[in-house]
Parts: sequence; C-alpha cells; structure tokens
Amino acid sequence: MEEKEVIIEVKDIYKKFGNRQILSGVNLKVYKGETMVIMGGSGCGKSTLLRHMVGTVKPDSGSVYMRGQNMAELDENGLDALRKKFGILFQSGALFDSLTVKENLCMALREHAKLDENIISIMVKMKLELVGLRGFEALMPSQLSGGMKKRVGLARAIAMDPEIVFYDEPTTGLDPIMAGVIDKLILDLSKKLSITSVAVTHDMNSVFRIADRIAMLHEGRILQVGTQEEIKNTTNPMVKQFIEGQPEGPVNFFMSKEDYLEELIK
Amino acid sequence: MPINIEEKDGVKVCYAEGDIDINSSPQVKKVFDKVVQAKSGKVLINMKGVGYIDSSGLATFVEVLKNFRAYGGKLKLCNLSSKVKSLFEITKLEKLFDISDTEEEAIKAF
Repeated sequence: MEEKEVIIEVKDIYKKFGNRQILSGVNLKVYKGETMVIMGGSGCGKSTLLRHMVGTVKPDSGSVYMRGQNMAELDENGLDALRKKFGILFQSGALFDSLTVKENLCMALREHAKLDENIISIMVKMKLELVGLRGFEALMPSQLSGGMKKRVGLARAIAMDPEIVFYDEPTTGLDPIMAGVIDKLILDLSKKLSITSVAVTHDMNSVFRIADRIAMLHEGRILQVGTQEEIKNTTNPMVKQFIEGQPEGPVNFFMSKEDYLEELIK
Repeated sequence: MPINIEEKDGVKVCYAEGDIDINSSPQVKKVFDKVVQAKSGKVLINMKGVGYIDSSGLATFVEVLKNFRAYGGKLKLCNLSSKVKSLFEITKLEKLFDISDTEEEAIKAF
C-alpha cells in the first residue's frame, strides 16, 4: 500500500488560556493533498488548534510538526520561511479596508519577493480569475459583499502559491448559495493546484461538501477522525448528536440548575 | 536558473533548467529582457528541464510574450512536462501561448 506523506502532525497538544483548559491532548495527522476538516461546536477549541498549526499560538506542551519541522523550535526566520508555504483565509476575510482589492493582493507579493510591478499585476489578474473576480481590482473592500470579500481573501491566501491553505470558518455569515460557491472554490483549488487544505467549521453542509477526512473536536479532545462515510455512520453518540444537530444528547450545552443557583448566591 | 541559448535553423532555442518560482523568475525575466532588446525574431523556450513553474513564473512568461509581440517577435514553448502543462491549463494560459510537444515540431512550425 502506498504510504501517505504526513504534511502536518499535531502531537499531544495541551493549551490553557487562564484557568480554562482549551486543548487536552490533541493528536492529528494531515496528509499531503487532502482536505481535512476540523469540526466542533463553538468554544470546542478548533480555532485554537488552527492557530497552533499556523504557529501564532504555542502549546503549553506537545508539538506541531509542519513538513517534518517542529514549529516551536524555529526562530523567526525559520517561521517566516515556513509561512511562505502556507496561506490563510481568515473568518472575516481580514482585508485591509483602506486598500483596493489589487493592493490587498499585492501586499504579500511585494513583501516576500522582488518582482516587477508588471509581473505582480499579471499575477493579481490570474489569482482573481481563479476566484471569479477579475475586473474588481480597483474596488475597495467596503464596496464588496461578504461573499466577494471571502473570495478576495481566498485569492490573497493563494497569492504565493502555497502548499497548504488554512480556512477559518470559510462559510460563516454567508448565504447558502455563496457558501456553496466558496466550498466549490475550495474544492477546485485544492484539486487543481494540489493544495493541502485544513478547514475549521461547524457548517455541516460545508463539512460534507469539501472534506476528504473529518476530525471531530469536543472539549479540547479529538473524538473521532474519519472519512465522510465513517463520520456519517459513526457509533460515537457525541459525534452523532453533532452531525444531526440534536439539542439533547450526551453533549451538555447547559450547566445544571443547581450550578446556576449556587453561582447566584456565591 | 541557468538558461542556455542555441541558434538552430534561424530560431533562438532557450533551454530552461530547474524550477521557475518566485526566487528564480526575476532571473528568467532578465535573460529574456536581453533577448527582447536584441529584437530576436523567432524564439523557442524548451522547458524539458523545468519541473515546476509557479504563478510568478507564469506571469513572467506572459510579460515576456507581451514584450515579444510589441515588436512583432514570435515566441513558442515546447517540451512541457505534464505537471507544468497542467499549470498552464488551470490558468488558461495554454490558449495564449503557442505550445508544441517537441523542439523539432516547434522549429518547423515557425
């Protein structure tokens, strides 16, 4: 059997913010070329896990290896070199409001490479064509819809031809059609450009449209990792409750009445 | 990024070697700027030695093509690996460039 190449490996990560334990021993492997979706409810730690993967948060213990390198052992130059290999689509799009669409894309290209402005302009057109927004170069972010901002954010995320793209809640806040458009773009770009994708989301439609494999995170732990079929046919009651969107089940969304009353008279 | 240039049947054949990426594409641009300055009429880029081209490399080729067309020069490409060819296809550039399978075929077609 062909051995799959591990491109990201999360090894036994623990992380606390204040007194709150966010991640409690997370292990996860992402293989080259696959789309891995990390799903879980709000506050389950999935965005924190993503931030560990991109190196903006360091674990209290455990390690993240990207392309075999332990991210915690890299200095700023090493991290910079690694960051050129990946792109991030932020939840809000994170565009610079005072810059045009073109300038938003040019920033990364000017920062990381010594390219002529003519070449950069051609690259911007190529990237915008890939997300269906060629001709929108001169617009400001305030003149774009939410879906268009996401697409510009996606064009920016792939500006440097990354090997890996991280997506933080790519379809949150979008109407169902635009969410479908973004999912299709993620799929197309992953397959056409052979990009490894890691997405965190709680949008179940999106999960089952884009994922090659799915990891379910709950209370800082991975409950199950599997293909779409494996997750759909799960025997884990918590995973089942989540994908079916059941308010009642083993996952407690509310504290007990007693806790509430004790809290009031403390 | 070494590029050897040979004259064959009145065609300047440029042999590109290695990956054409964000680090090497400025050098590629410099080499072809000289070819453009010399107003070479027929130029073929043999891509046999190129394993990968990123979007900065593709954009550089587009710019070079624009400069050739500005004075009426002809530019062709040949011997693209399947990976490199697919990158031209994804970006729809295979319709912009004259691409041949072999060097002989390309030279004959000038």
